[in-house]
Amino acid sequence: MNRASENREGTPMSDPITAEAIEPPAEPSAGQAEPGETARQAASIEMKGLHKRFGRDTVALDGVDLTIEAGEFFTLLGPSGCGKTTLLRILAGLEEADDGRLAIGGKDITEVPPHRRSVNTVFQSYALFPHLSVRENLAFGLKMRGMLPGERDARVAKIAEFIKLGDLVDRPVDQLSGGQRQRIALARALVNEPDVLLLDEPLSALDAGLRSQLQVELLRVQKRLGMTFVFVTHDQQEAMVMSDRIAVLNGGVIQQVGPPREVYEHPVNAFVARFMGHDNLYPVTARQGARLTTPLGELTTEDAGEGSLLLIRPETLDLLPGEVAGDNHLPATVSERLYRGSHAEYRLEIGSSTLQATLNNRGRHLPEVGDRVTVSVAPEDLVTLSE
Amino acid sequence: MRKRTFKRCLTGFWWFTLVFLYLPLAVVVLFSFNASNSAATFTGISLRWYGRLMGNEEILSAFANSMILAITSSVIALGIGCRIGYGMYRHRHRKLGWLIVLIYLPIVLPDIVFGISEMAFFVQIHRLTGLLQPGLGTMIIAHVTFQIPFVALIVYSRFVGLDPTLFEAAKDLYATPIKRVVHFMLPTIKPALISAFFLSFTLSVDDFVISFFTAGPESATLPIYIWGAIKKGVSPEINAIATLMIGAVAIAAVISLVFSRRRQA
Repeated sequence: MNRASENREGTPMSDPITAEAIEPPAEPSAGQAEPGETARQAASIEMKGLHKRFGRDTVALDGVDLTIEAGEFFTLLGPSGCGKTTLLRILAGLEEADDGRLAIGGKDITEVPPHRRSVNTVFQSYALFPHLSVRENLAFGLKMRGMLPGERDARVAKIAEFIKLGDLVDRPVDQLSGGQRQRIALARALVNEPDVLLLDEPLSALDAGLRSQLQVELLRVQKRLGMTFVFVTHDQQEAMVMSDRIAVLNGGVIQQVGPPREVYEHPVNAFVARFMGHDNLYPVTARQGARLTTPLGELTTEDAGEGSLLLIRPETLDLLPGEVAGDNHLPATVSERLYRGSHAEYRLEIGSSTLQATLNNRGRHLPEVGDRVTVSVAPEDLVTLSE
Repeated sequence: MRKRTFKRCLTGFWWFTLVFLYLPLAVVVLFSFNASNSAATFTGISLRWYGRLMGNEEILSAFANSMILAITSSVIALGIGCRIGYGMYRHRHRKLGWLIVLIYLPIVLPDIVFGISEMAFFVQIHRLTGLLQPGLGTMIIAHVTFQIPFVALIVYSRFVGLDPTLFEAAKDLYATPIKRVVHFMLPTIKPALISAFFLSFTLSVDDFVISFFTAGPESATLPIYIWGAIKKGVSPEINAIATLMIGAVAIAAVISLVFSRRRQA
């Protein structure tokens, strides 16, 4: 990250169209250096007023303004049809925006065709060329840019070592598993040392175990290279694990941009809150200073916002046995308990409302179904947001 | 028990069909090696009719015409047909059903209608402009026209079977439009192209009707020569030609089949 920003300030952006981009980095130092040390620089991305429609009625992007910092792991998060993939395709040049401007590394590339952008994509289907061997797939981009065979081989060998492909490079493409294809697709994009790497739900076709393993691997690769990654996913857990910052999209509009903690703990509206997995949302029927009236009862918050919805995160709640009087204490009945080992998930009834709570299993008393309990929550953990 | 009998009947029927299809061919092949002139009795194995072929100027020239016609027309049809096939693929999302029907039509049109139309067309052009005198040139044009639909459909189906993202991956990996053709599209559809070439070749060598109507006096192909020769009766020489043609077409058809089956998933 540091290196990336140093480079960004210290060296001028190279034009991806000139021969400079085609030449190998200044000091290949013959196989000793990792790709991370030879990557030239990370690039920032600026989007201004991007609009895109398909046909007459389908609005894919409705005015997207977004700046992605150099060296950032940035995630576009949203449900299917929210415009995240369209945005990624516009970055790659595979789709043209109807309106708006796009700049990478300070250069306007709105009208630059994909094959002249220093941007590479890891596709959801991996898109490995079936007529080529793994080695030839890896070298494809370098070959298209006119690199000589000797240098190509050296670069391919280096990236194969960096991604730990081992003997995979000598196998035919049709004999690879999903995880292997994914890693080769990643290597095939990284070997070109692009200014920006785009990843279109690259892990969605894999099973859960492999998926979390590759999440960690991908994150390490990004941190070591300091390259700008733009990652598309519909999985909020994945987005939170991977990202420096997340943009949540819905209906072609960015709802919120921020680091994972901010988006999770302080969602700006009901859509973001629900998409980040929150269920405990209650209308605020009246408000007097810090006192909120909700269907659960009266609560005190430190949130100064004027939001009409109250968000209570399950993990901020504490359950006290029996009835205990106090501020921000709500009497409740346990209607369901899911014991998960490290923690237990509770469903509580308060009047006609239900409330989810999560208790860490630290050897303390875990209330049973049917128990009368008191829910306790700290004022600083109560957040209000708009509809 | 009854089921087994039924199965045996089916097996018998299968063998009967095969015999029905291939026995006449087998007879022709067998008698091409006959030592005597007789078309009724087989008197021993000899290659004398094949030797006789080699000395027959007319047959050799007909053979050369057939080869020139088949190879030239197949190459041209390949060049045009693969572009049409790609065009059909690129615009497959539009409502082009009627265009596809237009591509299919020459395949189902009776050869004789096709041949007569071509002949009438060429004669008119020749009378007006002096171009397109009947001969190998007109035959090549006629053959190309009926080969194109086959090539286009084979190439189209190969493209349809590909992951559409591959085209985007090629763009993304810095391939210019020309490099996409050379390094991605052509290598990817190579099996389809080889298959289409040999299918076109077979169709051309096989064709009698369309060739007959568009040929000139000097451009008799093997089928036309055979047609002329059998007016004087079936000679063992004709058996020998037929055997060679069966062999050539079979090889081309097998190559075409092998490459059309090959899917480098």
